[in-house]
Amino acid sequence: MNGLALYLVDWGPRLFEAASLTLLLTAAGFGGAFLLGLALEAMRTSRSARLRGFVGCYVWVLRAIPLLIVLYMLYFVLPGIGLTLSPFLAGTLGLVLVHGAYLAEVLRAGMQTVEQGQWEAARALGLSRLLCLRLVVIPQAVRQMSGPLIVALISVLKDSSVCALIGVNELTLTARAIMSESFMPLHVFLFAGLFYLALGWPASLLARAVERRMNSLQGRQPRHLSTSRRPVRLAPLAR
Amino acid sequence: MVDLGFVLSVLLDGAKTSVIIASGALVLAIALGFMLASASFLLRSRLLDTLIAIYAETLRNIPSLIWLLLVYFGLAHVGIRLPPMPAATVGLGVIGSAVLVEVFATAFRSVAAKQGEPALALGLSHILAFRLVIVPNSWRVSLPPVGNYALALVKDTTLAAAIAAPELMFQARMLVNRTFETGLIYGLAACIYLGVAFILFRLTRLVEQAASQR
Repeated sequence: MNGLALYLVDWGPRLFEAASLTLLLTAAGFGGAFLLGLALEAMRTSRSARLRGFVGCYVWVLRAIPLLIVLYMLYFVLPGIGLTLSPFLAGTLGLVLVHGAYLAEVLRAGMQTVEQGQWEAARALGLSRLLCLRLVVIPQAVRQMSGPLIVALISVLKDSSVCALIGVNELTLTARAIMSESFMPLHVFLFAGLFYLALGWPASLLARAVERRMNSLQGRQPRHLSTSRRPVRLAPLAR
Repeated sequence: MVDLGFVLSVLLDGAKTSVIIASGALVLAIALGFMLASASFLLRSRLLDTLIAIYAETLRNIPSLIWLLLVYFGLAHVGIRLPPMPAATVGLGVIGSAVLVEVFATAFRSVAAKQGEPALALGLSHILAFRLVIVPNSWRVSLPPVGNYALALVKDTTLAAAIAAPELMFQARMLVNRTFETGLIYGLAACIYLGVAFILFRLTRLVEQAASQR
């Protein structure tokens, strides 16, 4: 047991450093994916049918192929056409491309929870399209989406581990490196798992709390407002 | 130039392994998830529910890749040596059970909310009501999420490449190491995943339609 404590003293700092890279990867991936999701959602509501078709295709394809393929494409195929990305950049870009498609779906589901009638009412009050979005639709949609957004954040965190396979020096790859030095796979991976758990579990509890609060808020609203409102359906996006 | 027929045959062989891993994991995940959800529904014990919640949260908040490495390298360390394919199947299956236990539990609750009392009023016991009314009717609710899970599972089988299971991505990697045709081989692999996803998507639709028409 004493020996293990010594190991932990040795591994701890390295894993902490790796965990900060995991966090950076997650933050960059989620931030980029959110922007991409917004752009996709904006394109989907545009008037051009071609643009809408493109978004539909993009979302379908990026949700159907595994993240690992996207990462391999970015990291191993792009250099063939003269574009060499660092592992971190390729990893971030892969997370953005794949999770952008997911977030577009989350955003759409959130927007759909705001009834069409609210749009019409706001327009009838003389608000412009943009003001309508800002003052009426987005405040309501954000409340509905906050739970699913946190869930999406957790899945970016989990998927950041896949970037280990293209050589990003984050938690999982560092754990593997430590394993091949120490030959104690069980301890190293459990320890690395605890790091992920420490990051993901609080977020997951928060998502649940937010969802519960949303439901109770809905219950307190006047009936005619709450009956026809559909909750955000997370099921089609569950990973 | 590479021999396209050879590349395709190797990739399809890998795809077969991926499908075998995915179906094994799916069966395991459904069985485990269903058992846990039924136990939680029938026993109504707070302690059991807490344990299941901890089980599910732990499995879902740690990346699948870490779990697979733990099952493959970690268990070998304590003397349980699993070959790559069973390790991947068991690992993914157990992770999946954490997703599906919630799916089934939600489905049971939603059916019981409407049909639980009528079933009891007809004189069925708690267990009989569960077996004859709630379970058969809950499939309709749980099918779409199970279909989505199956799709995600096929994608997660790529992670088995990290523990050297000879699935599609592993084979693609091997071919690339031999031929250096990165674009062609990863492109073909992506197409195979798209094809599998499309078939699964259609299949889920068909089953859902059949279930809703009954």
